[in-house]
Amino acid sequence: MTGAQGLMVLTLAAPLALLLACLWPAPRRRVPGLLWLAPLPGLLAALFAAGAPPLVMDGAGLRLTLALDAPSALLLGAAALLWSAAGAYAPAYLGRQAGLERFAVWWLVTLWGSLGVFLAGDLVTFYLTFAAVSLAAFGLIVQDGTPRARRAGEITLLLAVMGEVCLLLAFALLADAVPTSSLAIADAVAALPGSPARGLILGLLVAGFGLKAGLVPLHVWLPLAHPAAPMPASAVLSGAIVKAGIIGLLRFLPADGALEGWGDGLAALGLFTAFWAVGCGITQTNPKTVLAYSTVSQMGVTVAALGMGLALAVPGTAMAVAFYAMHHVLAKGALFLAVGLAGAVGGARRTGLLLLPALFLALGFGGLPGSGGALAKLAVKPQLDAGLVGALAALSAAGSTLLMLHFIRRLASLPPADATARPSWVPLLAWLGMAGAAVLGPWVLFGAIGPGDPWLGDSWEALAKDPVGLLWPVLLGAVLALLLGRWGGHLPTVPEGDLLVLAGRVGRGGAIIGAAVSHLEKRLRAWPTAGLALLVLVLALFGALLAGAG
Amino acid sequence: MSGPVLYGLLGAALVALGLFGLVVQAAVLRKILAFNLLGGGVFLLFGVVARRTAPAGLAADPVPQAMVITGIVVAFAATALAVAMALRMYQITAAVTVSPPPDAQAGDA
Amino acid sequence: MTATTPAGWLLVVALVLPVAGMLLAFVLGGRAAERLALLLLGLGVGVGVAVSAAVLRMGAPIVYLPGGWAPPLGLALVADGVAAAMLLTTALVLFAVALFGRAAHATPPDQAETRAALAYWCFLLALAGSLAAAFLGGDLFNLFVALEMLTFAALSLACLEGKPSQFRSELRYLLFALIGSVLYLLGTALLYGGYGTLDFRLLAGRTRADLPTLLAAALMTAGLAAKMALFPLHLWLPPAHAGAPPAASALLSGLVVKAAFVLLLRVWIWVLPPLPAMAAAPLLAALGAAAILVGSLVALRQARLKLLVAYSTVAQIGYLFLMLPLVLSGAAETASHAWLGGLLQAGSHAFAKAAMFLAAGLIATALGHDRVTALGGAGQAVPRAVFAFGLAGLSLMGIPPSGGFTAKWLLLTSALGDGQWWWAAVILGGGLLTGGYVYRVLAGTIAAPPGDAPRPRPLPHGPQNVALGLALISVALGLLPLASFGLVQIGRPGALGALP
Repeated sequence: MTGAQGLMVLTLAAPLALLLACLWPAPRRRVPGLLWLAPLPGLLAALFAAGAPPLVMDGAGLRLTLALDAPSALLLGAAALLWSAAGAYAPAYLGRQAGLERFAVWWLVTLWGSLGVFLAGDLVTFYLTFAAVSLAAFGLIVQDGTPRARRAGEITLLLAVMGEVCLLLAFALLADAVPTSSLAIADAVAALPGSPARGLILGLLVAGFGLKAGLVPLHVWLPLAHPAAPMPASAVLSGAIVKAGIIGLLRFLPADGALEGWGDGLAALGLFTAFWAVGCGITQTNPKTVLAYSTVSQMGVTVAALGMGLALAVPGTAMAVAFYAMHHVLAKGALFLAVGLAGAVGGARRTGLLLLPALFLALGFGGLPGSGGALAKLAVKPQLDAGLVGALAALSAAGSTLLMLHFIRRLASLPPADATARPSWVPLLAWLGMAGAAVLGPWVLFGAIGPGDPWLGDSWEALAKDPVGLLWPVLLGAVLALLLGRWGGHLPTVPEGDLLVLAGRVGRGGAIIGAAVSHLEKRLRAWPTAGLALLVLVLALFGALLAGAG
Repeated sequence: MSGPVLYGLLGAALVALGLFGLVVQAAVLRKILAFNLLGGGVFLLFGVVARRTAPAGLAADPVPQAMVITGIVVAFAATALAVAMALRMYQITAAVTVSPPPDAQAGDA
Repeated sequence: MTATTPAGWLLVVALVLPVAGMLLAFVLGGRAAERLALLLLGLGVGVGVAVSAAVLRMGAPIVYLPGGWAPPLGLALVADGVAAAMLLTTALVLFAVALFGRAAHATPPDQAETRAALAYWCFLLALAGSLAAAFLGGDLFNLFVALEMLTFAALSLACLEGKPSQFRSELRYLLFALIGSVLYLLGTALLYGGYGTLDFRLLAGRTRADLPTLLAAALMTAGLAAKMALFPLHLWLPPAHAGAPPAASALLSGLVVKAAFVLLLRVWIWVLPPLPAMAAAPLLAALGAAAILVGSLVALRQARLKLLVAYSTVAQIGYLFLMLPLVLSGAAETASHAWLGGLLQAGSHAFAKAAMFLAAGLIATALGHDRVTALGGAGQAVPRAVFAFGLAGLSLMGIPPSGGFTAKWLLLTSALGDGQWWWAAVILGGGLLTGGYVYRVLAGTIAAPPGDAPRPRPLPHGPQNVALGLALISVALGLLPLASFGLVQIGRPGALGALP
């Protein structure tokens, strides 16, 4: 096992080791303080193990593979950084509550799944880590124990299980399509275009991963889960957990143009999601809900870029999409940390340390030149450039700006602490660290994905070349935000989870079916009915056997 | 109508009667009696099989006869157990059927 | 086939040890009965391991001919892959249930034994002997006798506490089971009349698709289906569990039903000619699918925990029937995957359901009731039992890693590989509904207790650890290498290189 492969194994082993320590009471008390350590091997793996040969282990009778290619490394590194920062934040935020240790257990399981998803190279490992990250997030969401948290957790769990079922069927179909008994993802993707159930498999994959990434109409769990979960959990939910869906789409959708109409469909769905989420988000007042809708919108843009890139067979799509998503991990995670700090700082410190950097990050989502977001937009420009799609993408950038300015306004309106309050340095460091990473990270890594040295200022170059093209969405968004501030009160209030109200009717229908089936079953339990059923079974079996023999 | 065919039809009739009684009768003792009828019909059929598969020189195949004896013992044990349980149930609840009481929950039906 | 193989004596030990133990325990009584039962059931686990190892090493079934008389005149004891695997599974579950019952049925040193305590240990041994007879029997008539012994032992265990409702329910079980047995017996009569032997290995390949054979198969299948509580013949199962002690429920749902299933496999895979079997298997699988969907839906609506778990059994039994059309009509590779999947489902369900019933019993004892809507506080009172319930639920739902997931994955890929995608839809829908009722219970246990509830009784750790151990085994089955399951393919007709 080479060093790189050892790092990959360590990434998975570190959270498990901490989980093991939770079995005994004395180590269990220390675990919450060590949460920030667990993801660090993942960060090291992302930095040093990218592109290493995959680690193949023949365990459990199956061939398990751990592999880390460049796009996964980008996401793994960003996610590990976010998990670490949020993990440092968590004990301070949750305080000395009795539920802290239980929270730590759920945290570690989710962390293991979240990092493992980026490393998985075969169907079984991927399904296992995806299940872990989807199902264990329930524990993070219901931490507060309030009815609202309960409801959010249940809906998240229900949708997550449905997504799991779709993925299980898709993976079973893929495993069936592979001529050998290999379970490697690469083989499965290669076999996908030739499979007779190709449409079904693609639909199931999009449904399962789109549910995780937050594509409309399967996004309804995101705006419910984020405000209900404690702040560190919201940060990793939006930042890292949602990216499991993105990495799934990146890994499983074939890149060689075999998608036909699916690429265009994905792009349409992604752009629709982007606008829908902006529309719902501007009606919200809770800053965490606004951020949740912003995540939905940004994931929509990401998926649209992926779809267009696959449809047009643009080279380097995977890296570009991963880069865009990476920036989102860092920036969105940082903004969630900022929301947590809003009540802990006051006065000038608040404006300087909190609001201004948050404003810079927020505008980055719209593409403010100089920010990491602008670089991210540049990265996916080859994908989202064509005609109508380009115009829609630019409009969505304006929408993002609008939404994020709305968020800043809501953030600023949160009650501040006393002007002389000194916040604890751990949360402050976590927030500033993440904010810095969100700005510097894309700059440092831009050279990895495209031509040019970022220190020469690619986005400044683009600004010089086409100032209007880069700036007009931001300005439009700012104007709309001013309008929103003036007349926003007239907008209808959309409940959190918008489309979820439709589900109530489905639930009632389900209850009626359940009652009818129960009634039927009760009738069947009467003795004469059962006796009759026995005789009918004998005759039916006899008839079937005769038919088969004749 | 030869002997085996007659006995076979009788056996079938007994099986039918026993099955009907076991399913339709409410009182436990009658169910147990019906079960014994049912068993009797099956054993009769075993006897028919014994006659039909008799090897040369023997009146009947001994193997099914051994099975009948075993079956009688098993049916006897089952009847004894059922009667003991019915008796105990009667002693505790004064009930003679296995129907649930009128206020039964789902678990009792 | 016609001679006793080396290591055949193990089969005799597996049969004789529990039966002799039961008689001895009845005579000795008191604490000696408890010690004897624990010792012999522990030895039973060892025997199970030895039999499995011997079958694996030989790559062929172990045979023992009592008296040296070969079939068709004599009776054979046969341990092929299925039998060895199920023997080991049942030995482990029985031993665990014996450990579980130590707290409730121990006799203090200076007191006379209670009837319930003595009966518990004796009937556990009786059950062990009956299960061994059911798995190792090579002759269809012997299997009938074993089935009857199983019914008697299981229902006696269920009536241990002497509650009137329990007598009524168990009497109904007895009568319905007797109908099943008699239909099975009728089938054996017809089969003997047709072929002059009832040894299923001799019958394999020798049966013709004529009227008496097919009628016999139909009768035997219906009888066994009644014993397995296949929908719509499941009427006896929920009430039998409602008032039974947790140990009896665990054994009834976990083991007795599996023995009837193994008999069903003997009839369908060995005895029936392949062509009619292929045609009629979808009918049974359709009933299994109905069992999965109806059972899970009704379980979702249950108000009592024990009934919820009982209906979950009704649903999970349906999965076993789904393997029949896949094994019979698939290509060789699909068939072996489906075979492994079905047997893995049987094994992991045995462990998981036993764990679930034991955990449900502990929760009910701690809280004083088992209403699903008022389970709050169980998470603090009996945390290990709740954790065991959760783990067992994971295995039943088919969440990796667990034996249930591997089983469902194998059945799923077989169904899709064979083009019978409708079974795949049923498997997935069943998993979804299972998740629903497992979640209902778990969410209830971590809620806060209602204000007016009495304080839950703290329970000793021993029984909880047993439940947890069983649940862990069910999960661990999913971590074993698939290659180690080659055991179950030994002796299957149609398996590559299998002996007839």
